Amino acid sequence: MAFLAQTSSFCRYKLVDEVSREFWQEFPEKLLEHKFREIDNTNEERSFGWVNIDNMLDVNWEQSPPYKGEFAAFALRLDTRRISPAVFKKHFRLAWNDLLQKKQEQGKKNISKQEKNDLKESVKNKLMGYTLPVPAVFDVVWNRESNCIYFGSTRQKVKEIFEELFYNSFGLHLNNLTPYYLAGHMLGEKYRDALDNYEPCVFV
Amino acid sequence: MSETVHNIEEKNAYLGQDFLTWLWFCSESNNGQIKDRHGQEYLLYLEQKVTVQGGEGESKDTNVSNGQLSELKEARMGLRSGKKVNQAKVKIEQDSEAWEMQLKAENFDFTGLKTPKVEMKVEEGEDPDSRFLEKMFLIEKSLEVIDDLYLYFLQKRLGPEWNQELSDMKKWIQSGE
Repeated sequence: MAFLAQTSSFCRYKLVDEVSREFWQEFPEKLLEHKFREIDNTNEERSFGWVNIDNMLDVNWEQSPPYKGEFAAFALRLDTRRISPAVFKKHFRLAWNDLLQKKQEQGKKNISKQEKNDLKESVKNKLMGYTLPVPAVFDVVWNRESNCIYFGSTRQKVKEIFEELFYNSFGLHLNNLTPYYLAGHMLGEKYRDALDNYEPCVFV
Repeated sequence: MSETVHNIEEKNAYLGQDFLTWLWFCSESNNGQIKDRHGQEYLLYLEQKVTVQGGEGESKDTNVSNGQLSELKEARMGLRSGKKVNQAKVKIEQDSEAWEMQLKAENFDFTGLKTPKVEMKVEEGEDPDSRFLEKMFLIEKSLEVIDDLYLYFLQKRLGPEWNQELSDMKKWIQSGE
């Protein structure tokens, strides 16, 4: 669990929507509905979903429940297949040569743009089947009292995947607590205009 | 909050940089002594590394200082030329406990947040989640300190006291070596 490491990196969110009392009863089921699905035996490029924060292989929360004190703690697992550009280049050239030879046998000289794109796609799919997906796990810690959520990544693309999956799973919107939104949460409606019209300080 | 994405990014940068620059001033002018919402006292100071940035687009210019507070000369010189803090390592101390974190002005993401040490060994019969709960308590404690200071800054910045604070900050920036 990354939050237990000596140092941790994360961003903060706050729920925009209210959470009903019934929500927490349905929560484990909602997690399961969007649990991570393995793609080891496929040639899919990417898969993501929720896993147990204590064990990324536990997608059914058999080892421990997702509740820890006042927190709900789970993790986003994101598996991605990556093909080295050098490997792709080599196999694309091989496939290109094969196709060119077939074309010449048919009395044709050129490969069309569409055929080139199809060839790229087919080489990519073939190589995906040979490549194992690389797993990555990002902790999610939800303080159920403050409805503040800590997400264990600061990478924009990963944050976007998390925000979308969170909404699809729980039907709740999140605000990333950047300076503007944090100020809005702290100060409330009274200061909305002041924040919307905020001008930078001039210190010199 | 009805701003466009571009406007929000701009506001984030303005608010975050103004806050971190003020935090440096606040820490130095109080010898690092601060209080949280419960009246608890802490020591807070900026450490290596502090990055100041000015300008926009291609004219964007950055100075980085690696060193203790008194040695952050490059960054201090940057402030005098109109740059602002856009990233800082913040260290918080209370009694024998210490926290440190790298804070980015543009989004308030926390990197490398280090809390006081938590004993990882679970004794027999102990709650297996006790280490996690202790660690989260310590993480949230440091976030509370930063949040309290941010709220204090916002209230000053948007209130009638700001002109005096700004004047003091200008003096501090000009007096830095």
